[in-house]
Amino acid sequence: MHQDEIPPGTLYLLILRTLARGGEMHGYEIANSIQQISEDVLRVEEGSLYPALQRMLIKGWVTAKWGTTAANRRARYYRLTPAGGKQLEAEVSQFDRVMQAITRVIQTA
Amino acid sequence: MNWFIELGRRLFMLFRRSQFDRDLEEEMRLHRDLREQERIEAGVAPEEARYAARRRFGNEIVLREESRDMWGWNSVERLIQDVRYGLRQLRRSPGFTAVAVLTLALGIGANTAIFSLLNAIMLRELPVQNPEQLVLFGKARAAGSTDDFASTELYSYPFYREMRQKNQVFSDVSAILSILFTKMHGAVGGSAELEPMDVQLVSGSYFSFLGVKPILGRSFTEAEDEPAGGHPVAIVSYSWWNRRFARDPAIVGKTVTLGSMVYTIIGITPPRFFGAAVGQSPDLWIPLSMEKQVSPGWNGLDDKWFASLYILGRLKTGVSIGQAQANVNLLARQIWHEYAGPVLTKRQQEDLQHAQIELTSAARGLPRIRYGASLPLQILMAVVGLVLLIDCANIANLLLARATARQREIAVRMSLGAGRARLIRQMLTENLLLALSGGALGVAFAWWASNGLLAMVPHGTEPLPLDVAPDARVLVFTFIVSLATALLFGTAPALRATRIDLSPSLKEGRGAVSVASRSPLAKALIVSQVALSLVLLIGAGLFLRTLVNLANVDTGFNKENLLLFGIDPPSVGYKEDLHLVSLYQQIEQRVSVLPGVRAASISFFTFDQGEWTDSVSVIGRTPTPEDDMAATHNVVGPGYFATMGIPLLVGRVFAPQDTAASPKVAVINETFARWYLPGGSPIGRHFGLGGDPRHSNDIEVVGVVKDAKYQDLRERPFPAAYYPYTQRVQYLNDFEVRYSGKSQAIISEVRHAIGQVDHSLPVAYQGTMVEQVNRSMAGQTLIARLSTFFGLLAAFLAGIGIYGLMSYAVARRTNEIGIRMALGAERSGVLWMVMRESLMLVAAGVVIGIPAALAATRLVSSVLYGLKATDPTTITVSALAMIPVAALAGYLPARRASKVDPMVALRHE
Repeated sequence: MHQDEIPPGTLYLLILRTLARGGEMHGYEIANSIQQISEDVLRVEEGSLYPALQRMLIKGWVTAKWGTTAANRRARYYRLTPAGGKQLEAEVSQFDRVMQAITRVIQTA
Repeated sequence: MNWFIELGRRLFMLFRRSQFDRDLEEEMRLHRDLREQERIEAGVAPEEARYAARRRFGNEIVLREESRDMWGWNSVERLIQDVRYGLRQLRRSPGFTAVAVLTLALGIGANTAIFSLLNAIMLRELPVQNPEQLVLFGKARAAGSTDDFASTELYSYPFYREMRQKNQVFSDVSAILSILFTKMHGAVGGSAELEPMDVQLVSGSYFSFLGVKPILGRSFTEAEDEPAGGHPVAIVSYSWWNRRFARDPAIVGKTVTLGSMVYTIIGITPPRFFGAAVGQSPDLWIPLSMEKQVSPGWNGLDDKWFASLYILGRLKTGVSIGQAQANVNLLARQIWHEYAGPVLTKRQQEDLQHAQIELTSAARGLPRIRYGASLPLQILMAVVGLVLLIDCANIANLLLARATARQREIAVRMSLGAGRARLIRQMLTENLLLALSGGALGVAFAWWASNGLLAMVPHGTEPLPLDVAPDARVLVFTFIVSLATALLFGTAPALRATRIDLSPSLKEGRGAVSVASRSPLAKALIVSQVALSLVLLIGAGLFLRTLVNLANVDTGFNKENLLLFGIDPPSVGYKEDLHLVSLYQQIEQRVSVLPGVRAASISFFTFDQGEWTDSVSVIGRTPTPEDDMAATHNVVGPGYFATMGIPLLVGRVFAPQDTAASPKVAVINETFARWYLPGGSPIGRHFGLGGDPRHSNDIEVVGVVKDAKYQDLRERPFPAAYYPYTQRVQYLNDFEVRYSGKSQAIISEVRHAIGQVDHSLPVAYQGTMVEQVNRSMAGQTLIARLSTFFGLLAAFLAGIGIYGLMSYAVARRTNEIGIRMALGAERSGVLWMVMRESLMLVAAGVVIGIPAALAATRLVSSVLYGLKATDPTTITVSALAMIPVAALAGYLPARRASKVDPMVALRHE
């Protein structure tokens, strides 16, 4: 199993997208979800996940609230805010633009 | 808006820090546990699973720090820590802290005080509605009245009315009489007692134009503009209301009598409003339509050639000053052309072509006093700026010494893992604390000093009416200056203090290394201090010598033993007729026979009390653009020349035979004779006054007197003519008395004698002529005094700096000196060795300071009189003055060095 580093600048995009799909999730779930959906190619380092989540709280893209897991443990659940939704759109379209550009460069003989 | 909400979130979290830490820890623990479980489920041994999960998580403390950093509190926490630590450090060395804070307070306070003045005079906007929309026609460079065609500085009342009606660029236009009537004598509420008051005439639109609403009563309306003489109403200034009426609200509706007219007080202005002109503070505003009643000499309402007003406009929204100027000039040309009639003379055509009204911003008020105050203020600002630089050098040196003393502490902290950046930041925080305390104390000091300063600013007999209390702009200025100061004095010492070699510092309290590394910087600081002080001393020397030169100027009159009085005949109903002449004559006669009085005379003006300048005409000479044949004119009594002590050179002075019926005569000065009536004796020759051909050549010269100074001690000789009041009946306000003996008794006797002529006539004693002359040098005196004070202070600080450095060096070298002496060095040799070092520092400072001073003083050459900015005597004396400073500052430590006992010194370390 080969795992890749997450390209710089895309971590927010990945977290936002994951939350948009999954509703309320705690940190571990977010990390696992990204790993699974990417079929184990992308692995989110805990070392960058938690600072990123704090940053997103400050920016108001997500809110957090304590709840309990299925195993009855306290966990902090994150949820996308409307501002986060907007940010997701912006990041997706920017990512698309950059990806297309990169693709063009690569494919041009 | 977003950043604001963000800041709110950050702040909210800041107060819930411990909660945050717990939350984050719990969250991460869950993550770790789940990961561990996942491993175990995948078949990994529990022990190994835990390690794997931990490994993957990385350094949890770093992670937590990073997450905290996101919220930006770490820096805040560190700052609080630094401030606490800094305060503790400063408390630990109270001597150092006190010296540093006091020096800074003096430096920053001086800057704040001068800046408060600069702010009040040059920078502050008027407290009116949208001041940025206000523009002034012209630059208010002239005041008074002129009959010049197409004047672009002063305007006639009809011109103002027409401009107000026809312009398309202003939302409103207002007019102010260019002269403030000061010390008019009026009676309040029908009382018989006359008291002085300052009166400003303004158009009916004035207050609504400015957007100034009275705090009591109503303001003028446009109805007050017409008819002439029909609106005897007045608005009272807050400061007068406060001073004269103790803020009695019942004064609205009361009356003020000026001359024969009774004015009803209808309103009171708000407290911060002093009028549109900076540095003037009218007590009363009266509608321009009352001009003739307020002052019969000013009768310009219907006269399109009597230009005596300033015009202000308020730009319509969206109109630029350039567009407004185009519209105004177009209109003005039409109006002037109309005034001149269908056929213009050649001169009028030229004037009209050249006339260009320049609109200038009036947001900061009419700039009258700014013209005179601007350069002195800039000079003073530069002086206090230099003082602050010297301050910085001094404190930097103190900090260097302190850093050496703290070397062990710093070494310990560094070896325990404190980062250099963190240590530097900590020291800068400490410096900032010093600077801010100094700044705060400085503001208090400036508050106290600025009123004293204001009293020294050149302006009449009373302090300039200005609000110099520090406002927001001043406080921001002080804050920025304090920050800059902290960086300036603190950066180099902080960098130096943290650049240390750990092991020797830890081993021993003080290493030989640091002495060597401290010295060059410390020496450079001393040298620059000496150089800056020298610049200040040279400047002070130049200003002082200017003052001496001015005091020794030949005024052309004898300023000693001369008393000045002011009289106010129109206030008690005199008309400009023979009664007035008889009043003047009786006053002169009665006063001149008083014991102790040698001569007395009424006059239009005396030195620096106003002027009347007009052109003269002489047959056979036509004025050219280069030579407009201007002269200054005065109307005087027969005893004027004897009273003033102006010597008669040829011919005669005025005598009883010069009456209204006899041929018109004049006495002229030498320059008048030389310029306008050259070739042969001027006696018996004729000239005319003004451009009016009807009056050409009707004045006969009967005498020539010596040139005198009329407005200013610096002025060059200028043509002057004097006329007898018998032939030119008009209101005259000045009364001069030459006396011998004690002045005090004479002042009351003069009052008494005038009272015998007319007991109702207001008489004000205005001081001696010597005081009047000194007042005209007030600006110069202020600059000279302050620069001398600061120059000496700077030299003193430099001396302290040298003393500190040398004492330190001597203490360090005790051992070495001991060895030298044990080996047979003479005490005098040791003394000289130390002295030489401090003299070298001063010599280096002087070598740098002289060219710096030459560069700096060039900028002030226009305020110097009778000497050049490069005056070698001043420069030499100032440079030599540094030697005793250096000698004394070096001698004390040197003597200590020479007293070293070799035996003690050798055991010293």
